[in-house]
Amino acid sequence: MKSAKSIIISIFIVGGGQVYEGRLWVGIAFAVIFYGSIFLMKNIWTGLNPAFWGIVGVWILFWLYNIYDAYKGATYDKPPCEKACPAGITPWIYINLIATDSKEEYPFFPFFKILERICPAPCEDKCTRRGIDKPVAIKYLKSAVKMSPPQCNHKKRDKRIGIIGAGPCGLAAGYFLVKKGYGVTIYEKEEMPGGVLRTFIPEFRLSSSVLDEEIEKILNCGIELKCGVRVGADISLDELLQKYDALFVATGAGKPIKLNILGEENCLNGLELLKEIKKGKEFHLGRVGVVGGGNTAIDVARSLIRQGNKVTIYYRRRIEDMPCEHEDREEAREEGIEIVPLCLPQRVEDGRVTFIKTAAPEGRKGRIEIMPDSEFEVELDRLVLACGQIPDSAFLRKYLKVNQNGSIKVKNGRTSHPKIFAGGDAVLGSKTLAHAVGQAKEVADLIDFSLRGIAPGIGRFFKKSYMPRVEVLPIKDLPRIKIPHRDVEERKNDFLEVELRASEEELRKEADRCLACPLRYRP
Amino acid sequence: MKRIVQIVFVIIHNSYIPAFFSGGIYQGVLKRYCTPILNCWGCPLAWYSCPMGALQHFIGLRLIPFYILGIFSTVGMTIGRMSCGWICPFGFLQDILYKIKSFKLKLPNWCSYLKYVMLIGVAVFVVYLTEEPWFCKLCPDGSLIAGIPLVLADRSGDLRALVGWHYYMKIAILIFILLGSIGIKRFFCRTFCPVGAIYSVFNRFSLLRIRVNKKRCIDCGSCQLVCPMDVPIHRSPNHIDCIRCLDCKKVCPTQAIKYEVR
Ligand code: SF4
Ligand code: SF4
Ligand code: SF4
Repeated sequence: MKSAKSIIISIFIVGGGQVYEGRLWVGIAFAVIFYGSIFLMKNIWTGLNPAFWGIVGVWILFWLYNIYDAYKGATYDKPPCEKACPAGITPWIYINLIATDSKEEYPFFPFFKILERICPAPCEDKCTRRGIDKPVAIKYLKSAVKMSPPQCNHKKRDKRIGIIGAGPCGLAAGYFLVKKGYGVTIYEKEEMPGGVLRTFIPEFRLSSSVLDEEIEKILNCGIELKCGVRVGADISLDELLQKYDALFVATGAGKPIKLNILGEENCLNGLELLKEIKKGKEFHLGRVGVVGGGNTAIDVARSLIRQGNKVTIYYRRRIEDMPCEHEDREEAREEGIEIVPLCLPQRVEDGRVTFIKTAAPEGRKGRIEIMPDSEFEVELDRLVLACGQIPDSAFLRKYLKVNQNGSIKVKNGRTSHPKIFAGGDAVLGSKTLAHAVGQAKEVADLIDFSLRGIAPGIGRFFKKSYMPRVEVLPIKDLPRIKIPHRDVEERKNDFLEVELRASEEELRKEADRCLACPLRYRP
Repeated sequence: MKRIVQIVFVIIHNSYIPAFFSGGIYQGVLKRYCTPILNCWGCPLAWYSCPMGALQHFIGLRLIPFYILGIFSTVGMTIGRMSCGWICPFGFLQDILYKIKSFKLKLPNWCSYLKYVMLIGVAVFVVYLTEEPWFCKLCPDGSLIAGIPLVLADRSGDLRALVGWHYYMKIAILIFILLGSIGIKRFFCRTFCPVGAIYSVFNRFSLLRIRVNKKRCIDCGSCQLVCPMDVPIHRSPNHIDCIRCLDCKKVCPTQAIKYEVR
């Protein structure tokens, strides 16, 4: 509410709102230039002439800038960590809040505690501190953030929005829309909300209690959830279109990619396997091979080794290029999982799999060549395929344009139907949780703008930027925190979380390592 | 360091104290010399003349200004645009104005080329046609340090009588530029300054150059954050807008930025 008051003050006194907000120098500078020039004009006044309207124009421009500044607050150049975050979190701000022991709370962000556990942390790959020693443990520091409770009932609008899929993207979008005052109903085909987080992410990476807690927080904002309803079968899309002012499709990507190899029908599917294991089923398969290099492959392998199997991962590129998280890969190797790079399965027979060697260039892109006459056989009892998944939007074909790979066609955030919006893995193909939440935020804004009839480009311009009191601390020569893990021998046999939380003091120290780039590196 | 040099040069350029008592401008021997940056010679406190003013003076007389071009190319060939960063008082003012923690804007890249329009179009072509120093008539530096103080301090009332639509327009431009440089890094230097336009051509050839070691650079972008001209130096060293202030060299965490003298 401070900003509303300061806008009003600024309308009447140029620079007044800024002073009220506590930005004294901004206010003084604005007032000096504005009133100074008026005073000057009074002093040298020699009569009206056309050029005077030019001055009046500039004054009006100045006045508008001053009002807008009072609304928007100070902006800054984005540091690399903020630019890299697909979810649109401002890491340097929460890190600074920790480092300065601030009383201020970071505004609520959905799935924060879950991002802390399963985000691949693209921000850390870009962090400036890595030029000095190692990146700040941005992801891990989330556990020390004091977060405000969700803010969801400011205003009420009478429009209603239906969301299909209570996965991360659907739930997050639900939160952002409720926050804007819309009525939201989410339809989920499974019995429990959570989507991929619930069905596929194994317990040792993300415990159900954390997931429940985070979902609870979002649902408590007044979102209506209908579980066990399959859209297209139990309720038709036409009905939903009639009932709601806008529909948001966030059905995720749950269809496994096929490899087209001989004997594929004898193989197990990675996603199915993870689902069964999460439900409590035990698999005693003996020697298992897992094909793939993403998080799913690693998760499958680690789940299986916890049930007493001997697991080997086969990947078609080099080990360094595996798209999974490096940390997870190393943890998996510690737990005794072998990784064989540069090979593809060819034939699956009873108790025996034939592989062929490949040559792959550096990086995740580029063509893979198959080396001739390099077949080798491995004795395996079972082969699990975990080569990624694609969206399955067959039931939408009637209404929307769908791409070749099953993802929904989107142009400038809009689908081919004016009332249907889409987001998350259903649009992006299988991506990370951060991407899903980031898209949820974007689409929620888009829905808001289109229901209110504002062009999204203009609407984005009027979003207030968030910046609490942030301080520049001196650069400290501290090593990167060692994230505590449970002992290998112990964790290998159960499904409890592998990563442990560090003490508050250690996290404080880690937060001190941040350079606060936008404030330190300012002209 | 940079700030100290800038303040020292403000004093070197504009410190003709007797002006406070006499109300007139310095007309001694130093006024025959040009300083290498934009600094209005009409300022009551100014010691030297402005190269842009002199250039237009000669062009207005339809002469080739060898002396001015000589100064520009000597300075440009040795240090490129360094004088913009270290000794220009108007640049210094813009640096200070940007420090204000307000709402900021980014300038699209093509704006950098507007200054050539200013140089060739206004300061050369129009001046040649009309025989009047047209850039001086628009220059915000001129109105800030010469126009306003002269008129305010005018005791006889002769100057005040001359105030007209043209003077009003100058003030409008000045306020606009001041407003712009609160919101945008060195707004005037990047978009309109004709002196900067001349030096920016030399940036590529000057003896003093900036080198970025691409192998060490981690693409963190701190150099662009700190750069007063918003130059992505890690992508394009010797960018036309780089004013060689060397701030980026100071902050680079991997010491990838070096300057070298050829
Ligand atoms: S040092 Fe801090 S502000 Fe800079 S990139 Fe890293 S986390 Fe972000
Ligand atoms: S500051 Fe140094 S390391 Fe960072 S982008 Fe610039 S040149 Fe590269
Ligand atoms: S690139 Fe570096 S030297 Fe050039 S203006 Fe920017 S900060 Fe100064």
